[in-house]
Parts: sequence; C-alpha cells; structure tokens
Amino acid sequence: MKTDAPIVYVVDDEAGMRKALTRLLNAEGFEVRTFASATEFLAGTSAGETGCVVLDVAMPDLDGMELQRRLTHDGVPTPIIFLTGHGDIPMSVRAIKAGAVDFLTKPVNDADLLRAIRTALSLAASRGDERDRYSRLTPREREVMAHVVAGRMNKEIALDLGTGEQNIKTHRGRVMEKMKIQSVADLVRAAQRLGIGTAPGV
Amino acid sequence: MSWVTIVWSMMAAACLTLAGMHLLIGCRQRKAWGNVLFALVAVAVAGMAACELWMMRAGSPSEWGAVGRWIHVPAYVMMLSLVGFVRVYLRAGWLWLAWAVVGVRSLALVLNFVFSPNLNYREITSLRHIRFLGESVAFPVGVPNPWMLLANLSLVLLVAFVVDATVTVWRRGDVRAAIQIGFNMIFFVLMGTGQAILVLWGFVQAPITPSVFFLGIVAAMAYELSRDTLRAAELARDLGESEQRMTLAAGAANLGIWIHDLQRGDVWASEEWRALFGFTKAERLDLDRFLQRLHPEDRERFRQARARAIEGGGSYEVEYRVVLPEGRLRWIASRGGVECDGAGKALRVRGVSLDITERKEVEEALRESEARFRTMANSAPVMIWMAGTDKLCTFFNKGWLDFTGRTPEQELGNGWAEGVHPDDFDRCFETYSKAFDARERFVMEYRLRCHTGGYCWVLDNGVPRFASDGAFLGYIGSAIDISAVKLAESEAAQQRNELAHLTRVTTLSELSGSLAHELNQPLAIILSNAQAAQRLIAQSPPNLAEVSDILADIVSEDRRAGEVIKRLRTLLKRGEIAFAPLSLNETIEEVLHLAHVDLTARGVGIDRVLLAELPRVDGDRVQLQQVVLNLVLNAADAMSANAPGSRRMQLRTACRNGSVRLSVRDEGCGLPADAESIFAPFFTTKPHGLGLGLSICRSIVAAHRGRLWAEPHSERGAVFHLELPANAA
Repeated sequence: MKTDAPIVYVVDDEAGMRKALTRLLNAEGFEVRTFASATEFLAGTSAGETGCVVLDVAMPDLDGMELQRRLTHDGVPTPIIFLTGHGDIPMSVRAIKAGAVDFLTKPVNDADLLRAIRTALSLAASRGDERDRYSRLTPREREVMAHVVAGRMNKEIALDLGTGEQNIKTHRGRVMEKMKIQSVADLVRAAQRLGIGTAPGV
Repeated sequence: MSWVTIVWSMMAAACLTLAGMHLLIGCRQRKAWGNVLFALVAVAVAGMAACELWMMRAGSPSEWGAVGRWIHVPAYVMMLSLVGFVRVYLRAGWLWLAWAVVGVRSLALVLNFVFSPNLNYREITSLRHIRFLGESVAFPVGVPNPWMLLANLSLVLLVAFVVDATVTVWRRGDVRAAIQIGFNMIFFVLMGTGQAILVLWGFVQAPITPSVFFLGIVAAMAYELSRDTLRAAELARDLGESEQRMTLAAGAANLGIWIHDLQRGDVWASEEWRALFGFTKAERLDLDRFLQRLHPEDRERFRQARARAIEGGGSYEVEYRVVLPEGRLRWIASRGGVECDGAGKALRVRGVSLDITERKEVEEALRESEARFRTMANSAPVMIWMAGTDKLCTFFNKGWLDFTGRTPEQELGNGWAEGVHPDDFDRCFETYSKAFDARERFVMEYRLRCHTGGYCWVLDNGVPRFASDGAFLGYIGSAIDISAVKLAESEAAQQRNELAHLTRVTTLSELSGSLAHELNQPLAIILSNAQAAQRLIAQSPPNLAEVSDILADIVSEDRRAGEVIKRLRTLLKRGEIAFAPLSLNETIEEVLHLAHVDLTARGVGIDRVLLAELPRVDGDRVQLQQVVLNLVLNAADAMSANAPGSRRMQLRTACRNGSVRLSVRDEGCGLPADAESIFAPFFTTKPHGLGLGLSICRSIVAAHRGRLWAEPHSERGAVFHLELPANAA
C-alpha cells in the first residue's frame, strides 16, 4: 500500500448503510470518511487528498449523478463508484460515460465492492501522477494539447495560434513526451480524466 | 143581645164555612178524602153547637131531654169522621182500635134512642137556671144513666187511638203533623170528655159545651189542611214555572215534546214537534197519521220498539227517518216513556223528539271518509300503519298484513313488534319511543318477518298526526320493502371493495420501484454488515464487541424489512371492510412511510401540519390509507414538472364542526377548469393509469359518510380536502 493511506469517502443518506460500509472497509484496512449528503461531502473535503468516493445515487436535495457532474466540472479527479438501490441501464451508462469507475447495485457483494475500490484507488494514484505531468507543461504546450484532443490537424492549430506548422509539431511532440503518452487516443482519455475541456473558441 | 147566642152561632157559622170550603176542595180534587172528612167533622161540630145553644135555652126538662138525645147524632158523625181523618190523612192508628171506637159509639147511639129521655139521664126531674156568660142558662136536674159510661168509653178509646196514631206519625218523622193534629186532638178530646163526665154525673153544675173543645180540633185541622192547600198552590206555581222553563229549553234545543194518551188515542204535541214532522198547528194528530210520516223502512222498527216499551212499562229510544210533505228526509231521534196506572196498565206515553239530520250527515260523511281512507290505504302499494297516543298500533293496511301474513288481531297493539328481527328490536324500539315522545318524525330500517317466514329489510317512515286544534292524535307511518335495495347496496359495496383493491394494487405497482428500494435498503445493510462481521471474526483475535454491535444492527434492519412487507401485505390483501376508530394522523404517517422512498426519489419535500388533538374517525384503515396514498402520489405527480427545489407538499389536519379534515396541498400544475371532472371514472393524466384512483377514492370516502373534493390554491397548485365525521365517542 501507499505511504499516505488512501481514503474512501462514503456518501449515503442512510446511517445504517454508512455504518455497515465503514465496518467492512475498516476491516479491509481502508480509512473511511462518511457523509450524509452530497453537500456535506463538498464542504468537508479539500483538494489534494487522494481517494475514491462510494456514492449513493438516490439522495434528497443533491443526488449522486449531480455530484458527479459538479466534481467533473470543478476538475476534481476523485474516482467515483456508484451504489444504487434501483439502478437502470441508461443511468449506469450515463454514469460510466461521465467517468465513474463502477456502477454497483445494493445489496452489494463485498468482493465486487472491494475490487471496484481498489481499481478506483489505483486510478486515483495514477491520476495524481498524470496531474503532476500535466502541471509541468508550458502554457503554450497546454494550449496545443487542448487543440489536439479536440481532434484538430497541426495546420489548423498553427493557423489558429498564428505560428508555423513545424512549431506546432514540436510542441505536440513535447506534450506527448512529457505526458508519457504514445497515442492521441490515450491523450484524449487523459485530458478527459483531467477534466480538460476542448480548446476555447473551437 | 145575648153573648151565648152570639158565640155559639158564630162557632157554628165558622164551622160551616170551613166545611163548605173543604167540601168544595174535596169534590173538585179526586182522592182528597182528608178534606171531605174534615168537612164532616166541621158540620158535626156546627150541629153540636146548635144543639148546645138549644139546650141552654130549653124551657122544659122534656125539651132539654129531647135535644140531649139528638146531640148524640152530630157527636157520632164527628167521632167517626175524626177516626176516618186520622186513618186517611195521617195514615196511622190501629185499625182494630178504630173499629172498636166505631163499634162502641154506634152501640151508644143505639142505646141513646132506646132509653128515655136519653143516654145520659134516666130521668130529668127539673131544670135549674145558672149564670153563664152574664145570663141565665138551663141546666137539668135528674138521675144519670149508668149506660152513659159507654159513651165515655168510646171517648177514651178515641184518645187511645189518636195517641197510637200520633206516636206512629212522630216516629215516622213528621213531628209537625204529630203535634198539630195528634196532640191537639188528644188535648181537646180529653178536655171535652172531662167536662162532659163532670157535668153529666152531677159533679159540677155548668152547661155542657163539648163543641167549644171540638172547635179547637177543627181549628187545628183547618190550619193543617190550609197549609197543604197553600203548598199545593206553591207547587202548582213552581210546576208552571218549570214547565215554562222546559218549554223554553225544548224550544231552544228544537226538541219536540209530545204526549200520546193511550186511553183516548189522541196525541198532543208541541209546536216544535209539529214543525219537525211537518204538521200544521191545527191539524189533528193520532198514531196513524204519525206513522204515515215515517220512512217505510223504519216503521216496523219503530213499532216494535214502542210495543216493547208499552208492554214492559219502560221506555224506548229510536232513530228514524221522517218523510216531510215536500219530500225531504229528516233524521229524528225520539225517546218515549210509558206511564202506567197502579195496576200496571199503560195510560200514556210521553216523549221528546230531536232533529239529528245534521249529526247523521256528519256521521255519514265520516263513515264515507273512513271507508275512502281504508280503500286507499288497502290499495296503496306500501305498508301503512297507524298508532294512537299510547304508542299502540290501531291500524294496519292490507299491504302490511299481506307482507307479514298475519291477522289484524295479531298485529294490533304491540303485536307487530313480534315480527321485528331480534337484532334490530332494541334499536327500533328506541327510535320509535324517542321520536314518539318528542312528537317528531322518524325513519328507521329494520328486518321484519314476512309471510314466507324469512326476514326482509323494510324502511319505515313515521309522521305524528295532529288535530286541527293542535292536539296530538298519534302516528301514521308507511313502510316499504327495501330488501332489493339492500341487496344492491351490498353488491355495490362488494364491487366497490373489489375495485378499491384493484386500484390499490395498481397504485402500489406504481410504487413498486421505491418499495423495492425500501426492502433493498435493509437487505443491503444486512449483507454489508454480515460480510464485515465475517472479516472481524476471521481476525485474530476476533473483534467480538464489534460483531455484537453488527448483529444488533442486523436484527433491527431485518425488522424494518419485515415491517415494510407487513404493510404491503395489508394493502394488497383483499380483506373484509372493518370499520374501527382510528387516528387520521397515524394513517398519514403510515402512508408517508410507505411512499417515503418514492417521494425522496422524486425530490418531493413534505411539510406536516398535523393537529395533535385530532379526534378519531370511524373507518377502514386500509381503505383510508389508500385514499391518503392516492392524494399524496397525485400531489407528487402534479409537481413532477417543477424544478427540483420547488416540489413541496403540505399535509394539514384540522377539526371543525364535528368533522376531521385532511388537506393535501401541492405546488403543481393545478386543476382543470372543471375540477369535478378529475373525480370521474377513467379520468387520468398518466399514460398507463387506470383513471380510477380518485373516482374510487371518492366512493370510499362516501362509504365513510365523508367528502372528498379539490379546489385550486390561491397561489399555485391545488388543494385536495378529505373530510370525515369525527367519532362521537
């Protein structure tokens, strides 16, 4: 395991459920923090902490899907595992497309839950590295990356940024090298994970 | 002028005057023997007075002796008349004593004419003259005749006879007559007898003057008789007045008075009577003419009644019709009394007749209206009964008797109550008595045994009856057989319950997702807890304290799941309707618990404004839950288009005027223009709804004697009101 123990955030309006999950995860050696609502969660966490969220879908005021949307919007990379009492396929598809690690139905089997948590935590860890790499890019390189993940040709980017095509090619090479990514497809996924939108004005 | 002449003449004159008067009365009035006998006494006394006067003036012993013999004749008449008077007028005295007096005196009279000169003297030797009332009067000197004792004995017997009669009269209570006649007679007879004995036996030298004493008797008798005459006159006057009064009264009452003399055969009748029967004043009346006036059908009946009365000497009363000369009919009530003589022979019939045409017409009209009522009552297609002021039934129509198959005798009074179903009897009796005492109308339903032996439901409607002056007369009521209605009602209730069940299942199926969650949630908690426990036990050392906590949680979560299933089962059950007092607040809480997940999922917030002291209502728990659930889900549906933060629903309970009310307010899309249309069957806004929710809710509420209605809220959305009567207890 990592030196700083990863935290599992449990957000569920049902106290009994929070207690049960805490017991299970504690027994597996995870550090657990519980929140009774999405709002409480937003107020009680700070950026920089790594971990994953086990999130109930159906909650009063702010529901799980809405929380996911906010986190993505704010660029918080914390991976999310959804737990739901009555999930349907369209809902799970929407959640996965929005970046959820897994979409589990209650009652949840311990093995399934633990597997999902472990995946999420490793993803969180890798996302932490990815963020480090991204932070080392120059502003010009980030600009170029946004254009690239939007699927634009070098020529178009050069035209937009008012520079030569060769220049763009160099920046692009450096981005790939610094992010340790081989294909544009991987770059797109990384950008998605990092919550980087497509370039403005495109 | 001689005083003796004057006094004795006047005595005689007075006696004769009185005698004349009473003889007249005696002749005019039949059976006035008292007066006749008195007249005889008075005449005799007058004769005695004349003889005495003669004797006092006698010039020779032979003249005195002759007159002394003749004076016995008036004396004889007087004594016999006195005895007769006592017997006739006082109706007393021993008869044998009377005969003894008559016998002894008669013997004395005979002997008087046998001896010479008379009964008193054997011989009269000379006349002496003595002073009497200032003049010289003759007085005999001679040898007294011992047979004179016979005359004295007759006087003594007379006294004894009068004493006996006086005692009898006294005892009879007629004290005045006893004193007036009896005492006077005794006193004066004794005086006269005493004087005669003293003078005639030569003890005293004085003229004999018995007439003076007997005049006292005459005066007493005359006084007594004149009182009788006076009283008779008074009676006659009173009678005249009362007759006048009666005639007046009879005239005023239009009573006709008549007398039929059976001896002479003629009929006297008052003017009123003649007017009643259509006879003129002058027309001669007899029985045949009268019978001619009678209606032929009534003649025989009248004849028989009259004949019976005459035969038995009693009276008769008969009502008959009279055919007046102009052809008009008149009803007459006639009453006659037969008068008989001593031998029981009918002498005359007296009577009164009265015009009763009006009464007869009223009676006839009454009989007709009674008959009309009975015809109507008996042909009416309902059961009709009547009761008197004492609650006892006095009439049942044919409809009733046909229904119960019993006789009027069995049903009258309280007999009808035997047919009331024992389970309904007390309630029935209470309703009936209470309404009866308050003089109020009442309606009651009960089971009544019908002619088949089974019980049928009847609806009985009773109304008090009052006379035109407001006096309470009793009740009249009608009952109809409502078995068919009852059956239809129970079938309708059955169908309503079936439908209620169906819609309940439908409603619950809408909730199935959230209900699954409601069950899922405890299961999820149990599973996670159990798996955590497995890990804790596998640790070394096992964390048993934590495991114990986990088990406690598992138990409570399991119970929670059980509760959900129980609640669901209740709602899904197709059970019998059971009315019981329940709290509407609790019903609301149960429903909100059930719908909690669904409402949460839909983002609906609930505001409860529940009155703590809410009276209970009578109702079926499941059906009322269904109604409340429907209202809550409808409110949530109405707000589905709202922004997530503005989906608030308010449930408010209140109590007013003996009703409990739940108002469910939403902030949704509101009601259609015709708010009532939403309660119509098959009205729905949902693609898969049956459209029976509100319709069945309303019929459930109606079965609870409540109301369910909707109105738009002044700001936004709608308010649904459920109102149920509060439990009185």
